[in-house]
Amino acid sequence: MRRPITLYGLTFSLPLLIWQVLFFVFPLLFLVALSFWTVKNFVMSPDFDTVNWTTMYGRAVFWQAYGNTLALAAAAAVLTSIFAFPASYAIAFKMSDTARRWAVFLMVIPFFTSYLVRIYSWQIFLSDNGIINVILGWIGLGPFQMLNTVGATMIGYLTLAFPLVVLLQLFSLVFIDRTLIEAAHNMRCGRLRTVFEVVIPSARTGLVIAALFCFILAFGDFVSPVYLGGGEPTTLSILITDTTKSGQQWPRAAVIALTMIGTLMVVAFAAVKFAYKGKSK
Amino acid sequence: MSRDTLVSFEGVVKTFGGFVAVKKLDFEIKKGEFLAIMGSSGCGKTTTLRMLAGLEAPTEGVIRLSGKPINDLPTWSRDTPMVWQSLALFPFLNVRENVEFALKMRGVGKAERRRRAEQWLDRMQITEFAERNISQLSGGQRQRVALARSLVVEPEILLLDEPLSALDAALKVRMQSVLKNLQRETGITFVYVTHSQSEAFSMADRVVIMSRGVIEQIGTPQEIYRTPRTRFVADFLGSSNLFSGKVRSGTVGFELDAAVGTLRLASPATVGETATLTVLDTKTHLSTTAPAGSVNAVPVKVIGEEFVGATATVYLETAQGQEIRVQKSHDELTGLPLGIGQPLYVWWNPEDGHLVGEG
Repeated sequence: MRRPITLYGLTFSLPLLIWQVLFFVFPLLFLVALSFWTVKNFVMSPDFDTVNWTTMYGRAVFWQAYGNTLALAAAAAVLTSIFAFPASYAIAFKMSDTARRWAVFLMVIPFFTSYLVRIYSWQIFLSDNGIINVILGWIGLGPFQMLNTVGATMIGYLTLAFPLVVLLQLFSLVFIDRTLIEAAHNMRCGRLRTVFEVVIPSARTGLVIAALFCFILAFGDFVSPVYLGGGEPTTLSILITDTTKSGQQWPRAAVIALTMIGTLMVVAFAAVKFAYKGKSK
Repeated sequence: MSRDTLVSFEGVVKTFGGFVAVKKLDFEIKKGEFLAIMGSSGCGKTTTLRMLAGLEAPTEGVIRLSGKPINDLPTWSRDTPMVWQSLALFPFLNVRENVEFALKMRGVGKAERRRRAEQWLDRMQITEFAERNISQLSGGQRQRVALARSLVVEPEILLLDEPLSALDAALKVRMQSVLKNLQRETGITFVYVTHSQSEAFSMADRVVIMSRGVIEQIGTPQEIYRTPRTRFVADFLGSSNLFSGKVRSGTVGFELDAAVGTLRLASPATVGETATLTVLDTKTHLSTTAPAGSVNAVPVKVIGEEFVGATATVYLETAQGQEIRVQKSHDELTGLPLGIGQPLYVWWNPEDGHLVGEG
């Protein structure tokens, strides 16, 4: 149904419109324009040349980084979801209302500290002479290389996304109709089986959205793959910094950035479609 | 315990913290009967059903199913399927998958599962909706899915927790006959919790009336309606023709010294005790002059009347302000002046009066 545009309606929708244009549409359009500019002798000049796109898409390094980033972000989304689920399940179903409020508060606390600081403190734990290796040394083990590995990158992604994923999962779990769980129990469905047969299907929308958020955060993250992963394997975020540093290639970095945005849009769209599948028909 | 007993509650108590939901329950459920547990909200009827389903554990006492104590048996190890008030259908499964769920949990093979689900879908006349989502069904259709889902395992007993309360009046009546027929055909014991007298009395073989965690009366609907055991039951069933007073011995038999005057009693009673006399509104009569003979008569004034179908209910008030109801057919009322404020006499035969305890 179309409603006539009134001054009253406009007053309330205008700030959102201005906000979107100013902080999303305009920078995006600028990025698109930038990707067609050319660089000569470290100087950028406005142009309309597809050379940046053909160069970047023609490089094996780019597609390798693209594959790495996709795989890492997908792994982070899956692993974080799996690790977070028992925590959110316990908070949603096994805690009193008071305990639940405290648990939610504790999940918010990590956001008080800068992500970068939290990643640096992981280095203290994971480095060759770090806390974990020293302790393992006492019982005659190690040292193991933990820093500058894919595992360390994964720990970084978990640090980044875990509290948010727990909160998002929790939000869908607390709204599950408890009689559905009782009904499943009543029909010979044991506790663990009920989690898979009833709880997860009921909370599917929230669980998928939580995993999607983790994917988005990990896909664009620069800190963990550099400071915990040691820059190996190369991700798109690392490739962007390398590209801008080498010869002022901002237009080529724009190509990478636009590719990332496009990928996230496709993934987000598919995830939301899957999350709401079979609903509100 | 007799051989046809399926369930027995023996001294069952249930408390939640300091709150006593069920004070002491001792009753039996017979094999193949339709038992209604009835009472106002908070009387402990749902808690009783949930204890039987294994969703709550009794604080004290023993619940037996087929003679075996089931107190420690979790709900997933009992065969006591329940139909919830909200129906608790799984919204993420379609109709067929909902009906197959319990069979799947029992490890019944795919083909067999489908065959048995098909049978019940057909029996409940919902085959055409088999592939639909729950959200696409009407209230009555959901009801049928919930019944099919519980009955597909062919249990010995089915527990129902006010399943019809969300339906409109016409559909409610239709579902009542569906339920009653289903129970008769399958021979499965139905335990039906409700706050509605019409639902309980129209379907059940026996009715349990509960109040504040105790059983007030158990009996067939006729027994309870004709001879309520306590004043609570009489009040709960909506009989308004109640007269309280002290019992004394009169010239012919026992009498009740009530506020409206002296009333004759047909049955023996304890002299000096306070008792309540109740008379069904279908057993009371009206006349313009004081009736002669050994009947009980009370002078009243008309305060209103109500017509439902072929019968009319006349509302009257005694000099003390107590409401009395008389139910008659239209024919029986013709010729009587029934204007508001019209003085009349209400009378009944002492044999139609029934004494209830002061419970």
